[in-house]
Amino acid sequence: MIEFRGAGVRTDDGRTLLHPLTLTLAEHRVSVIGANGSGKSTLLRLVNGLLVPSEGSVAVHGRDTRSEGHAVRRSVGFVFTDPLSQLVMPTGREDVELSLRSRKLPAAERRRQGEAVLRRFGVDHLADRSIYDLSGGERQILALAVVLAVEPRILVADEPTTLLDLRNDARVRALIAGLDQQVVFTTHNLDFALESDRTLVVDDGRVVFDGPPTEAVVRYRGIAAAASASGADGT
Amino acid sequence: MRGYGSTLGLYQSGSGVLYRVPLWLKAVVSLACAVVVIAWRSPATSALALVLTLGALTVGAHRSPARVLQMLLPALPVLGILAVYQGVTQGWQQAAAVVGGIAACLLAARAVTLTTPLQDLLDGVAHLARPFRRVGADPERFALALSIMLRSIPYLAGLFVDVRDAARARGLERSPRIVVTPLVVGAVAYAHRTGEALAARGLGDDDATDDPPVRRAPDGD
Repeated sequence: MIEFRGAGVRTDDGRTLLHPLTLTLAEHRVSVIGANGSGKSTLLRLVNGLLVPSEGSVAVHGRDTRSEGHAVRRSVGFVFTDPLSQLVMPTGREDVELSLRSRKLPAAERRRQGEAVLRRFGVDHLADRSIYDLSGGERQILALAVVLAVEPRILVADEPTTLLDLRNDARVRALIAGLDQQVVFTTHNLDFALESDRTLVVDDGRVVFDGPPTEAVVRYRGIAAAASASGADGT
Repeated sequence: MRGYGSTLGLYQSGSGVLYRVPLWLKAVVSLACAVVVIAWRSPATSALALVLTLGALTVGAHRSPARVLQMLLPALPVLGILAVYQGVTQGWQQAAAVVGGIAACLLAARAVTLTTPLQDLLDGVAHLARPFRRVGADPERFALALSIMLRSIPYLAGLFVDVRDAARARGLERSPRIVVTPLVVGAVAYAHRTGEALAARGLGDDDATDDPPVRRAPDGD
């Protein structure tokens, strides 16, 4: 359960990135759609405390992201758009084991669990290859494995399929669909958004629609068409 | 961005006796190599250390001598400058002793990092740093910082090559500013991304406190 209580974000120079927002996300799959720069990623970053709100608060399972950020980050996994921003170790095996270090396990047990995670996500055969030698899809699945290794209660994914081709897009979507965790994701892929239980449409730092994905997509198409028309008019 | 992890300083899976030797023993031998070439500085000592480290990597890690010598390539510019400086100021025998000794130490250190998985290295460093707990230090964080540093060296080396190639492609390779500026910007961006990736996973957070993270506001998306 994620609760936004009047949570808003402003930059130091006073620019509003996200207007105060009050809502509760309890659905299994929540998608966030909107144009580039609309505030989607800002909204997502509030969920695991990567960003603390300038006003109001955000709570995850009752824990405030400002005062209990450490605990929140341990229960909310965050997947970046670019897996190379996520993977900080030279190989997948080492990166998964790095995630597991937070559990303070003995080395042998950490290795065993790391191996199990890599097998579970079907990337065990890539475990010792340089992350730079992997395809975009392999990297993104590895990035998901790295985040899910510590079994977070919620997964937050910022455009996890944006950099992928159709086949890998389908792979990642299928993987996310099969997760037990609550998943909140942003996407530009409207088919992906339609697979969720609830969709937020963000425009210019405001949640302008919150409801069923089919209606949200219609609303978003309308906003995009209006923006496109005003751009063509030069207004 | 190209990956340079395999050519500079990081673990590569393989077989050979060095992969089975415990970390502490490899670290002690590596340290002993440094002590010997410093304490008995002479061209003969350096040559012997160089031959021994080359042999250890060839036999113990199953790497051909050519591949082992390639490991020194990134250090070649610095070793070259040092050799010329030492040769002119101290004589060429001294230059051979110093440069040969450094090369041997580099190979000895490389033998440790090449054959030890990074996580094992982290465990070793965290173990070594345990006494500092008494003064409030966190050994795990210390080990994490070291691993990120080790990881960053090949990344930055790769970034330098990419930036230089980009400058060459535009015919601007003669301007140091064209190379240095994007290199610095890239290094800062890399540091920021790495910090964010660690924070997103809750790594490096203080276990004892739950202080809020201090993050800049993003660009708006």
